[in-house]
Amino acid sequence: MSGATLSGVLHRISRPTVLAPLTILCCLVVLVVVGGILAAGFAAPTNLLTLLSLSAFLGIAAIGETIVMLTGGIDLSIAWTITGASIVFTGVTQGDERRLWLGLAAALGMALAAGLVNGIGVAKLRISPIIMTLGMNNVMEGLTMIYSQGTPSGTATESIRTLATGRVGPLPIIVLVWIGLAVLVSLGLHGTRGGRYLYSVGENPTVSHLSGVDNDFVLIIAYAFCGLGAGITGILFTGFSTMSFLGMGDQFVLPAIAAVVLGGTSIFGGSGSYAGTFVGAAFLTVLTAVLAIVNIAVGYRSIIYGFVIIAAMLLYGLYSRTPE
Amino acid sequence: MGAVVTYVILFGIDLVLKGGNFSAFDLRTLCMNALPLACVGLGQYFVLLTNGIDLSLGPVMSVAGSIAALCFSWSWFAALAIAAGTGLLAGMANALLVVRLRLPSILATLATMSIFQGIALVLLPSPGGTVPAALTAFLSGGPALLPIPLLLVLAVTWMTSWIMSTPFGLDLRAIGGDEPAARSSGVRIQLAIFGAYMIAGVLAAFGGLYLAIATAIGSPTIGNDFILLSVAAAILGGVSIGGGKGAPLGVLMGALTLTIIGQLLYFAELSSYYQSLINGLILIGVVAIGTGRRVVSGLLRERA
Repeated sequence: MSGATLSGVLHRISRPTVLAPLTILCCLVVLVVVGGILAAGFAAPTNLLTLLSLSAFLGIAAIGETIVMLTGGIDLSIAWTITGASIVFTGVTQGDERRLWLGLAAALGMALAAGLVNGIGVAKLRISPIIMTLGMNNVMEGLTMIYSQGTPSGTATESIRTLATGRVGPLPIIVLVWIGLAVLVSLGLHGTRGGRYLYSVGENPTVSHLSGVDNDFVLIIAYAFCGLGAGITGILFTGFSTMSFLGMGDQFVLPAIAAVVLGGTSIFGGSGSYAGTFVGAAFLTVLTAVLAIVNIAVGYRSIIYGFVIIAAMLLYGLYSRTPE
Repeated sequence: MGAVVTYVILFGIDLVLKGGNFSAFDLRTLCMNALPLACVGLGQYFVLLTNGIDLSLGPVMSVAGSIAALCFSWSWFAALAIAAGTGLLAGMANALLVVRLRLPSILATLATMSIFQGIALVLLPSPGGTVPAALTAFLSGGPALLPIPLLLVLAVTWMTSWIMSTPFGLDLRAIGGDEPAARSSGVRIQLAIFGAYMIAGVLAAFGGLYLAIATAIGSPTIGNDFILLSVAAAILGGVSIGGGKGAPLGVLMGALTLTIIGQLLYFAELSSYYQSLINGLILIGVVAIGTGRRVVSGLLRERA
């Protein structure tokens, strides 16, 4: 039984989907070694776990982006969905543990709604994902500004702070959360019918439609997941920074897209994996940390970031062009 | 021309709110505020025509403005020329990645966006440089009814419209409409796309240059807001993400629309917090109405 599923899974996996994460993993190892040479203690397990916990926020933000990009779309609205969820969460709870569930429901409900509206716009109104999510980002920014009147209030509750910064023994809880979510998402993508539909919509909408898949429904669910993921990221990141602030989500959008691309998911949809994104997110975080050790100016960091993305894309282009 | 209608409606509301007054000062302010967005929006228009998107245009504005602010003390002319040249080079770099190396435009320009942003920050880590006061005064001055910013807005729109009427412009439209068909009818596709990215770079550089001159300072992050605003202005102006559609005049209207919303809120005594909400709703609304109209006209055609 598992044999049939496994061969089915392997059949759907294209070469870049396997080779890209392996490449990035190798680069990640090299980076860690380089970091270890540059600074004593960089490659120590405790520091690596800290880096992994920093990657977790980006990695979780990139879950939804992976799902949406697998359908051939993109979501630019996670910036203000993250910020909005965070500000609503602290605003509702005001750091009071008794209002935790109310805060979670309000923040995640809003994020989910934003994702659903994106999905409906893309699937039913046939608005291009770039425009729809760009517009949605503006809408979320406006709603957040109106809600907070420009000054976010409140703090994260103790429980969320523990979730984001606490440890079980030596292991950061956030890393365990991330790994748990990664396993769930990967099982969902590769082991369920829904996951299969997601890939088929991204690969070829016409074929997918003709073989009985409700494309619109799949798209709406994909964007809803992305909104929800952004909401979760917002709440967890609030726990990390103990409070919410305007624009806190901006730093996630482009790195999330970069992590997905570095992980080998095609921007045209239909091929890729969350395992790749996971490695991509860790790589980007470690790269930032190594560049910080070298004490290189922010400008140069940004330049290096850009060249890394170009290099990866050129390399992956070769992978998919190589005859099988 | 949905863009013209949208703008005229908003302008009408604006006029009513101001009690029917539209002074020469208002005209000048409107043009000054809209000019950078009009420039970079028109640049985005050329790239969108080819079925691409350029996310690096905002940082190109920052680089051009920063370089100019650093060079003005040396020579006015050199500063202007170097800024324009920077835009041209940036456009060439994008075109190289998209045309030569066949990278998807959204990812290629995402990467160059990071690179140009970095260059701007390396050149000018914090806002600074000098801008000759005379130049600032000149570019925001002029006769009351024909201020320099208005002339510049008209000039850049006329120039781009002229480009679109040349064989090159027709090629661009053909590529966005149907690339295989354009290819088989002898359009030199690679050359045309190369040109589109270069024009986009130069127009963005003009926008950044004007921002630096108008604010009298070079700022390494001033273009960030324009990364997505440029796309919004073009889309509001009736340009399609799928390429091939739209006219420069529409993009100008899109830029004016986004600019006037800010003024409207001010006169409607609404907080500026509403600005992005309204921007977003108008953007989604305009595109959704466009889709709706296609669906309706499709239905009508089926009946007939």
